[in-house]
Amino acid sequence: MNPSIVGVGTSAFGRFPTARIESLAHTAIVEALDDAALRPGDIDAAYVGSVFGPAGIANRVLAGVGLAGIPVYRIEAACASGTVALHEAQRAVRTGMHRRVLAVGVEQLSVVFDGPIVPEPTDPEGRSGLALPALYALQANRYLAEHGLDPAVLAHIAVKNKFAGSMNERAHLSGAPPSVEQVLASRPIAGPLTLLQCCPMTDGAAAVIVGDGTEGGVPILASSFVSGPAWESGSDEPWSMRTVSAAASAVWEASGRGPDDVDVAEMHDAFTIGEILTTEALGLAEPGMAGRLAAEGVTALGGRLPINPSGGLLSRGHPLGATGLAQAAELVWQLRSQSGRRQVDGARTALLETMGGGAAGVDGNACVVALLGGDR
Amino acid sequence: MPSVTVEPADPRPLVDGDVVVGSRCTGCTRPDAWQRERCPACLGVCVSERFGPGGIVWSSADVHLAVGHREPPFTLAQVDLDDGPRVLVTVRPTGEVPPGTRVRIVGTDDGDVVVES
Repeated sequence: MNPSIVGVGTSAFGRFPTARIESLAHTAIVEALDDAALRPGDIDAAYVGSVFGPAGIANRVLAGVGLAGIPVYRIEAACASGTVALHEAQRAVRTGMHRRVLAVGVEQLSVVFDGPIVPEPTDPEGRSGLALPALYALQANRYLAEHGLDPAVLAHIAVKNKFAGSMNERAHLSGAPPSVEQVLASRPIAGPLTLLQCCPMTDGAAAVIVGDGTEGGVPILASSFVSGPAWESGSDEPWSMRTVSAAASAVWEASGRGPDDVDVAEMHDAFTIGEILTTEALGLAEPGMAGRLAAEGVTALGGRLPINPSGGLLSRGHPLGATGLAQAAELVWQLRSQSGRRQVDGARTALLETMGGGAAGVDGNACVVALLGGDR
Repeated sequence: MPSVTVEPADPRPLVDGDVVVGSRCTGCTRPDAWQRERCPACLGVCVSERFGPGGIVWSSADVHLAVGHREPPFTLAQVDLDDGPRVLVTVRPTGEVPPGTRVRIVGTDDGDVVVES
């Protein structure tokens, strides 16, 4: 079977502490079902990504929209939870196990944390104070030193993605984009990362329905899921790069395509340095060049290779378990020419990447890379 | 859901004076910051080994958020201990130090490994 995406949907993204978490997911699932012109009884199985959702959330979410009595799997892969759900959904279809599979991601961070995510105290690095902005700040300082670059290269990513996000009515932060100077002058968070270079804590949900290709839809040319290898002493590569590169290589090999075939990409920009490292690990830019591509407009809307036209995690927000499926929804809208003012002209092949989390000594918990569309 | 008051085991590396008491694989020689019985790379048998006090900063960053008992700003660094593992440490005095800087373990602060440049 050749899996394709036949329906997508999302909630709005923002802070919704008084909403029931189920209602966020229901908005996304109903939109995806309507988009695919399917009914709940047409769905054969469901994969639900959530990191901090309560116990039983998968069945609670699904039962509320008539999706009971089917195989249901909850997936936790940190920030990549939703993308792993999509990967498993397409795999279930590709192998012939099911015909139509729902992938859902949902998160309500506003009822779990007052501020940033609290590092996990049973993880050695979490217990040592390594909050996620600090993890990325360590990579940023290493990257800037390695390539002799100024922190302004990071700020260009924030300006670019917040400009795109200002045109996304579903985004958590859709206000007027800041200047490079405003990004750099915003409150310091960790290392060179300032407040405007960090994604917001976001609630929201997203859903994708994968079909078997016989009912049309956006083809999933290839999808790869790699969990992080050990990150050893002596490794010169910043954290996560080897994992992203491995996932990307598998996608290029499986699809027979390469970085030059990509028209638009959504990738993990929880922090500005994340997009820079990922762009390079995916092979979309030479080492040390991703920031310059943003500054020169190459990876901005209207450029040769727009990255994060949704506004990315920096603007749309980062509802952990939902993020990967929100990225997929954006790319489907782009490939269908349904993205309105942020439409990438002529987008035919789209690349999706999500990087998930950190655990001590491991080069990232999980990374999924997928290639969508592909009309030549 | 029952509540518990048991403090989970401290997962941070064990420090004795100015060295990390970790382990090394007798098979592939991989160093580890923790006292493991079997090597996570090859499943070989590990034996205890002390690493440090010297090492090289891979990267460091000032943190401007309160994290646990740590009040901002404080500085974290990834340090490759000499012929040893990469460990996450707190830098004293607070302030970023460039990659490649030599540092030395000087002890712990409430369980965090502390280095000075």
